[in-house]
Amino acid sequence: MASAPSKLYQDDVSLVVALLDTNPFFWAAASLPFSEFLHHVIPFINSLLLLNQLNRVVLIATGTSSCGYIFDSGDGNASGNSNAVCSGIIKKLEDFVGKDSKIGKGSNGDGTRPAISSLLSGSLSLALCYIQRIFRSGTRHPQPRILCLQGSPDGPEQYVAVMNSIFSAQRLMIPIDSCIVGAQHSAFLQQASYITGGVYLKPQQLDGLFQFLAAVFATDLHSRNFLRLPKPAGVDFRASCFCHKKTIDMGYVCSVCLSIFCKYHKKCSTCGSEFNQAAPDSTIPDQKH
Amino acid sequence: MPQVRIVARNFMDMVAALPAAKLDKLYDSSFICEAVLRSLPPLAKKYVLQMLFLDSPLTAKSMEEWVLPDGLSKHKVAIDRLLQLRVFMEVNDRKKEPSYKMNQKFQSNMQKYLTTGGTVPREPMPLNAAVRLPSVGELETYAMEQWECFLLQLINSSQVDKSTSFSSSMMRAFQRGLLNSSRDNEAPRLTENGFQFLLMETNAQLWYIIREYISSAEERGMDPTDLISFLLELSFHTLGEAYSVNTLTEVQRLAIKDLADLGLVKYLQGRKEGLFMPTKLATNLSVSLSDASSRKEGFVVVETNFRMYAYSTSRLHCEILRLFSRIEYQLPNLIVGAITKESLYNAFENGITAEQIVSFLQQNAHPRVAEKMPSVPENVTDQIRLWEADRNRVEMTPSHLYEDFPSKDLFEACCDFARDYGCLLWQDMKKMRLIVKGGLHQQMRDFLRGQR
Repeated sequence: MASAPSKLYQDDVSLVVALLDTNPFFWAAASLPFSEFLHHVIPFINSLLLLNQLNRVVLIATGTSSCGYIFDSGDGNASGNSNAVCSGIIKKLEDFVGKDSKIGKGSNGDGTRPAISSLLSGSLSLALCYIQRIFRSGTRHPQPRILCLQGSPDGPEQYVAVMNSIFSAQRLMIPIDSCIVGAQHSAFLQQASYITGGVYLKPQQLDGLFQFLAAVFATDLHSRNFLRLPKPAGVDFRASCFCHKKTIDMGYVCSVCLSIFCKYHKKCSTCGSEFNQAAPDSTIPDQKH
Repeated sequence: MPQVRIVARNFMDMVAALPAAKLDKLYDSSFICEAVLRSLPPLAKKYVLQMLFLDSPLTAKSMEEWVLPDGLSKHKVAIDRLLQLRVFMEVNDRKKEPSYKMNQKFQSNMQKYLTTGGTVPREPMPLNAAVRLPSVGELETYAMEQWECFLLQLINSSQVDKSTSFSSSMMRAFQRGLLNSSRDNEAPRLTENGFQFLLMETNAQLWYIIREYISSAEERGMDPTDLISFLLELSFHTLGEAYSVNTLTEVQRLAIKDLADLGLVKYLQGRKEGLFMPTKLATNLSVSLSDASSRKEGFVVVETNFRMYAYSTSRLHCEILRLFSRIEYQLPNLIVGAITKESLYNAFENGITAEQIVSFLQQNAHPRVAEKMPSVPENVTDQIRLWEADRNRVEMTPSHLYEDFPSKDLFEACCDFARDYGCLLWQDMKKMRLIVKGGLHQQMRDFLRGQR
C-alpha cells in the first residue's frame, strides 16, 4: 500500500503524542532500566518544547491492561519550573503502573497466564481521539504526529484493532513514528510507519537513545521531505487470521468484508454473510456444463 | 565563512550583525540561547539538537549527507544561518576540510536546559492587596490601544487624541523610510515602504520599530546589546504577572518607559516601588522572530460581489482599509466598504502591489470565513491581480521611425547599426521601415549622413 503523503505546512509547530510502553514484564527483563529510559525520554520532551514556543507534547502510558494520560504540555500548570513537571511525570507513571497491575490481576484472576504484550491498540486509539479533538478545536492547530516507544512484543490478539487504528491515522494523515527499545522488531509498528508515512527505527545502542531520538524523531513534518531518514529493510506484511490470531501466508477471505480466515467457514464471523460455495473437496458446478 | 551577505531586514539579522565578542557575551544568558534557537529555520534547529551532546567537530561533508539532494539549498541556508549567529563555529582540521563545532557557551546552556529544565528570568511580585493588578483581558486592550495610538501617530500626527512620550526626534527616526514630506507645508505622505509597513502583521511591525529603536540606542547612550538581551528576556516572562522595577538595571529602566508607550509592558505604581507587567505583545516576541504566520483573529469578510465587511472599531484598521477600498459606511462595530477599480488604482499608484493586498485580506480573514478554502473569493483575488496587470499592459518607450530608405543596403546597414547599440525596437523588411529608441537619434543621423 502506498504510504500517505505528509501535509505541506509552512510552520514547524507540531503536536507529538508519545506512547510510552510501561509493561512491567518487559522492563524487568530489559537491558536498559526504566529509570535510564526516562532519563533519555524526558530531555527529549524538553527539547521538543524548546524548539518552538507553540509545540505541544502529550504522554500516554501503554500498560498491559489499560492506558492513561500522563502529561499534557498544553495544560496551564505545565509551564514554569521544569523540575516539578519532571517529578510530576514520574509520580504519575508510578501511580499508573500500580493501577494497571491491579486491573490486570483483577480481570485475569490470580491463576491465569499474565499478558506479556502491552495494549498498543488502546493507546493508539487514545492518541487518535486526542488528535481528533485538537482538529475540531479550530483552524489553527499544530501538525500532529504519534511517536511509539515500544519494547514489548506484539500481541496477535490486537491485530484487528491495531490495523484499524493504523488506517484511521492514514486517513487523518497522521504519521506514526516507531522507536523499538526491545529486543525484537515489531511487525505491527513496521506496518504502521510504512502505511502512515512515519519513521521506524530500532536503535543499535540503547545508551545513546537520546541522540537517536533527537536526530530522527525531533524534526517537524515539513522538514522531513528534505532529510535522509532511516528506511526499514523490509516490512512484514503478513496478516493474522481473525479466528485464531495466527499470522498466516495463505488463507480464506470473505468477499464482502475482506476478513481473513485460516480455515474454511460457512459463515463470516465479522459481517455474517453466508458462503454458498460448496466445500473445497466437492465437484465444482461449472464442470457439469 | 558564511556565503550570504547579511542585510539587516529582520531582528535576527541585526543580532547576527553584532560583532563576535558581543554576540558571545549575549550567549551567557540561557534565554537568549533559547530565543535564538527558536528563531532558526527548522532544519537548523534539528542540526543544533543533533550536535548538542557531541564534543568533537563534524565535517561539512558528513553533514551534507543528512539531507536528500533536493534539500541541499535548505541545508546551505541553515548552515549559513548557524554560522552567522555564531552557534556553529568553523574549525579547520589538519586535512584542511571545513568542519563545524558548536559554540561552547551555547552548548553548555542548552545542555543544562534539557537536563534540568528552563527557569524564569525573574520572580514575579507576590500578590499584594494594596495594588489592583489588571486582568489579562484588560492588559490586552491596553496593549492594543497603545500600539494603535503609536501607529496612528507614526503615520499622521494630527489624528491622535493623546500623543506618546517619544521625543520628536525618535518619531522622526521611526518615520524615516516610511514617510516623506514632499512639500514643506504639506503633511508627509506615506512612501511605498510605508504602505507595505501598514499592511504587515503586528509582530512584523513591532520588530521593525524595535529594530529602529535599537539602532538609534547608541546615540542615546544605551548599549544595544543590553537592550537586545532585555527584549529577548522579556518574552520569557509570564503573562499577567507583575514584576518589580527594582530588579532592572539602569538601562532597562529607561527602556521600560519607552516600551510602555509601545504597549509591550504596562507600568504601574505599587506601594513602594514601580511595577511592570508584560503584555501579550511582549510574550509573543520570541514566537515570531522569523517571519511566522499571524496568530491573531482576523476581522475582514470579503464577498464575491466585492463588498467588504470589517468587524472592527479601530481607527487604524479603517485607515488601512481606506488605502485600497472605498469605505461606504462606518457603524459602531462594523466598517462596510467595497473594493472598486478606482480605489485599487489609487492603491497601485501609491506603490502597493496586488499581492500585498491579497495577503493582507487572507491573513486578516474573519474566523467565520477563514475555515473556508479559499478565505477570500477567487474572483476577487483574480480581479485584483488583473487590474494590476492592466497597468502593465502597455509599455511606452520614446522612439523614432525611419522610412523611405533609397536602397536596401542602406536599410540593412542602419538595422545593423541600431542593433549594435541595442536600440533596435522594430523593423519591417518589405516596406523598409525602422523604429529605433529615441536616445540613438543623433547618432543615427550622423551615421546616415556619413553613408551618403
